[in-house]
Amino acid sequence: MAEQPKLAEELSRMEEEPLLDIEKALVAGCLILGVVLLVALGWLSSWVRPGT
Amino acid sequence: MPVGGSPPSAPASSADGPAPVRSTWLSSEDWWSVWLGLAIFVLSMGVILGVDLLGWAAKSHVWLAPLAAVRPVSAGYASTPVLVSIAGTYVFLLAVALIGAIYLQFSLRRFVAGFTVIFWASYACWVLGHYAYVAATPDKLQAFGISWSLNLTGEAGFVLALLAGLAVGNFHPRLAGRLAEATRPEWYIKTAVVIMGGALGAKAASATGLAGVVLFNGLCAIVAAYLIFWSLVYYIARRYFGFTREWAVPLAAGVSICGVSAAIATGAAVRARPSVPIMVSSLVVIFAVVELLLLPFLAQILLYHEPMVAGAWMGLAVKTDGAAVASGAIVDSLVRAKALAVQGIEYKEGWMLVAATTTKMFIDVFIGVWALVLAVIWCTRIDRRPGERVGAGVVWERFPKFVLGYAVTFFVLLGICLVWPDLSAGAALSSDEATSFRVLLFAMTFFTIGLVSNFKKLREEGIWRLAAVYLVSLFGFIIWIGLLISWVFFHGIKPPIVGG
Repeated sequence: MAEQPKLAEELSRMEEEPLLDIEKALVAGCLILGVVLLVALGWLSSWVRPGT
Repeated sequence: MPVGGSPPSAPASSADGPAPVRSTWLSSEDWWSVWLGLAIFVLSMGVILGVDLLGWAAKSHVWLAPLAAVRPVSAGYASTPVLVSIAGTYVFLLAVALIGAIYLQFSLRRFVAGFTVIFWASYACWVLGHYAYVAATPDKLQAFGISWSLNLTGEAGFVLALLAGLAVGNFHPRLAGRLAEATRPEWYIKTAVVIMGGALGAKAASATGLAGVVLFNGLCAIVAAYLIFWSLVYYIARRYFGFTREWAVPLAAGVSICGVSAAIATGAAVRARPSVPIMVSSLVVIFAVVELLLLPFLAQILLYHEPMVAGAWMGLAVKTDGAAVASGAIVDSLVRAKALAVQGIEYKEGWMLVAATTTKMFIDVFIGVWALVLAVIWCTRIDRRPGERVGAGVVWERFPKFVLGYAVTFFVLLGICLVWPDLSAGAALSSDEATSFRVLLFAMTFFTIGLVSNFKKLREEGIWRLAAVYLVSLFGFIIWIGLLISWVFFHGIKPPIVGG
């Protein structure tokens, strides 16, 4: 991988790229949806579990 | 879709631009894992129809006397000399793999040489792992006339294969280089998973309710895990470690979702340079090995009373298909051994592996969906390339085809057992015969994962920044949130008990 040394250099001197609003919305949306689904599906799965 | 942790089959990295996606029926490893797995599966089914085609295959047993270590899998071939059985197993697997190698345009001379070394090294580790002082479970000690053992079961052979591979990969890189053409852990594990579907189908026939619950809960678990893991890692990589979007997307996918395949798929979706996800992938492989060596033993300590949680945890927490399924196999043995020793409960083999494999495969399936979501967001909101359209074809391109093979073998054997219960004994022997090859492919996966896990990469300048995100995310929350999610969806679900 001839390009790798350059990438390693790039990694150590990476310029900051500010977080866009769409990224913040994506992160927040995923997190909220994930937690909501965890609770809702967890509750749903308790109904299909053997012995419950 | 490249899965399982080997950068070698990732797209070429010599030039900038979108990562190419190869998904044709006869020219991708993914499809060939389906064909090879199905070929072995179909041949193994001969015994159901009264034609025992693979009964000569070598099966390893826990041993004290070396001559008792290996026997043909089928009683019908009991008189076959062991050496013939072992040699036949090697020749058969090589011949089957060669068909794929020809279509995949490997260098055949180098492939045969590499495959031969990898096969015999893996096989030796697999048999050594069955040594009674290493593998015997407490209920078998008396039969062997020994007073102790490490109680690791025969799956200790996988760990030995991994350690052997690591030793070669890290201390004899020239030898590892000579084996490169056959160093294909993704191919081996995907083929093994296709074969495994049949065995799990036969198993599920005896507990259809449980199998359905595992499928449903596995799907639920990964939907939640996907969203939580990815968003947290992406935010941490961008906000606290200063990674650009091009780096953060594949890094978040690689650390949080499914290792190599996710890094490459999402990297392509946001049009990262191909070398970026590949560099991430090399780190994924290294950490997957660490997880593989640690998590099954941690699960044995923490979760022997919740076996299905332990299995699902491996699927959610261990990156790369090879390492995750392998962890599932190890945890299945370790937890069953501990439950037997501590609780006196003997769980049926394979159900923790089912949980690990199910969660992992749903994760694989969703990689395509996630790549599509990211591609749409990047095209329409971030990169804004006017007129560019992202079709649902992306999902099919990223869809892991070996999952189709798994589904076919699973439902065929499940259907046979449910429709014709009289054939269940034949189906069990059929899956036993296929499993003889499957475990060898597993062992070869472990060995080759070790070969491609070059820990010297960690010395390279800059890669520690990637490694830091990985360390913080993986050990800081992914493993523990994965444990929580596994517990939410799998606690209280127990595998069937032997004789129960």
